[in-house]
Amino acid sequence: MAFKKWIAESFPVDQEAFIKLTAEPIPNHLKRWWWGLGGTPMYMFFVQVITGIMLVFYYVPEADKAYQSISYITNEADFGWFIRSIHRWSSNIMIAALILHMMRVFFTQTYRRPREMNWMFGVVLFLLTLMFGFTGYSLIFEQMSYWAMKVGTGIASATPFIGEWMGDFIRGGSEIGQSTLTRFYLFHIVLLPMITALAIGVHVYLIRAHGVSELKFKGDENEEKKSFPLFPDHVYTELIMVTVIMVILVTLALLFPAQLGEEANPNKTPLHIKPEWYFYPVFRWLKVTNLTVGILGPIFFIFILFLWPFIDRFFEKRLPGKEVSFWIGVIGMLTITFFFLLEIIGH
Amino acid sequence: MDRRDALKSLFAFIPLGAAFAGITAMGVGFISPNKREVERRIFTIHLDELEINATRRFKDLRGRDLMIVRTGENEVKALSTVCTHLGCTVSWQDDKQQFYCPCHQGIFDKDGKVLSGPPPRPLDNYKVELDGKNVFIYFKDTEG
Repeated sequence: MAFKKWIAESFPVDQEAFIKLTAEPIPNHLKRWWWGLGGTPMYMFFVQVITGIMLVFYYVPEADKAYQSISYITNEADFGWFIRSIHRWSSNIMIAALILHMMRVFFTQTYRRPREMNWMFGVVLFLLTLMFGFTGYSLIFEQMSYWAMKVGTGIASATPFIGEWMGDFIRGGSEIGQSTLTRFYLFHIVLLPMITALAIGVHVYLIRAHGVSELKFKGDENEEKKSFPLFPDHVYTELIMVTVIMVILVTLALLFPAQLGEEANPNKTPLHIKPEWYFYPVFRWLKVTNLTVGILGPIFFIFILFLWPFIDRFFEKRLPGKEVSFWIGVIGMLTITFFFLLEIIGH
Repeated sequence: MDRRDALKSLFAFIPLGAAFAGITAMGVGFISPNKREVERRIFTIHLDELEINATRRFKDLRGRDLMIVRTGENEVKALSTVCTHLGCTVSWQDDKQQFYCPCHQGIFDKDGKVLSGPPPRPLDNYKVELDGKNVFIYFKDTEG
């Protein structure tokens, strides 16, 4: 009892506030598990933080040693291949889950007032995740990742007005080299995690502050209660989902472990170069457009995506009930899928 | 807030804001890489070592590939093999007499002019100077 008293004194927690916090009403539609996948990217982020810390024990961020250190992790360190595979697969699942989550929010229009700001934080989180993917892939310093880094920083350099400064800033000079690796390492393991953790915090806080948006389904009208408590009901559902996702993650890591290509050769661009799958649409877009359009296109897309809640409101006021947003979303998805498939078939 | 308080906050925030702006500017200056470039004139090859229409590969001071082509009796061209689209290295296709960039399928002719694909301009030329039969090229280098 004395210990319990000491804990209560030295770590005072408002019991009532805590109970209130865990009893947040969750709308009934979340009883259907497939509507509760929005937390997946966050779980994957935790997995990446843990596996990332483990990888840092052996990774050497030096241009002439980085590849060898990854080779050591993959081929010699105990369970290294598994940790690296989990890290790689969790990043892929995180991006895929984010895309699906954003599509869900877009097509159910839950970004509408008062949740505009949270949608914008969501878009920022998506961009941060892509930056994670890009910087992490580059750290391997294999042929493919080296040239992806070359193209990626080339895109930054070709951006109108601020491009030259931005490209040099990201690379740490006009060429890819040790400074680039140092900067990418810093971005990947310090700056991006810090900013992402903060943005996730705000995103989750805003979800709590606004409450989870309620979706109506046929058959739900007869239910007496409109919601159920976060704890224990929804927490259990989430835990089951985490377990299932972890099983999928481990299975993928076991069946398709992360590979290591040829070491980076700055003088020889491989004949068949490809970025990670999530950059396929942009990569194909850059092949079929001139440089300025190629770069301004994705920037414009992100800009539109970021401000979508306000654009949607504009359409809804001018053309009420015409579902303009829905059809723009469909056209946007089809265009991205078209460029994605074109890149797959193109080789 | 009365006038006295407003004045007090103004006096407190102006130096603080200026200090913050100064520190931020210093910080941005610190993390932005230096770009003090110098041009160096380097001897590369003697004309007797290169027949007319023959090519030879070299590296510049930053380790980038370039190709030297003897285009006439006393004419030499030095062409960068860095694609002007997004910086990949182009490869010479002898059978087609063209440069090919595998990143986004840019194609250049033997003079570096764009034949097809997204590159926005021809391959870059290095400044070449002949001193008798000695070929000198001007390379850019970072000072320090």
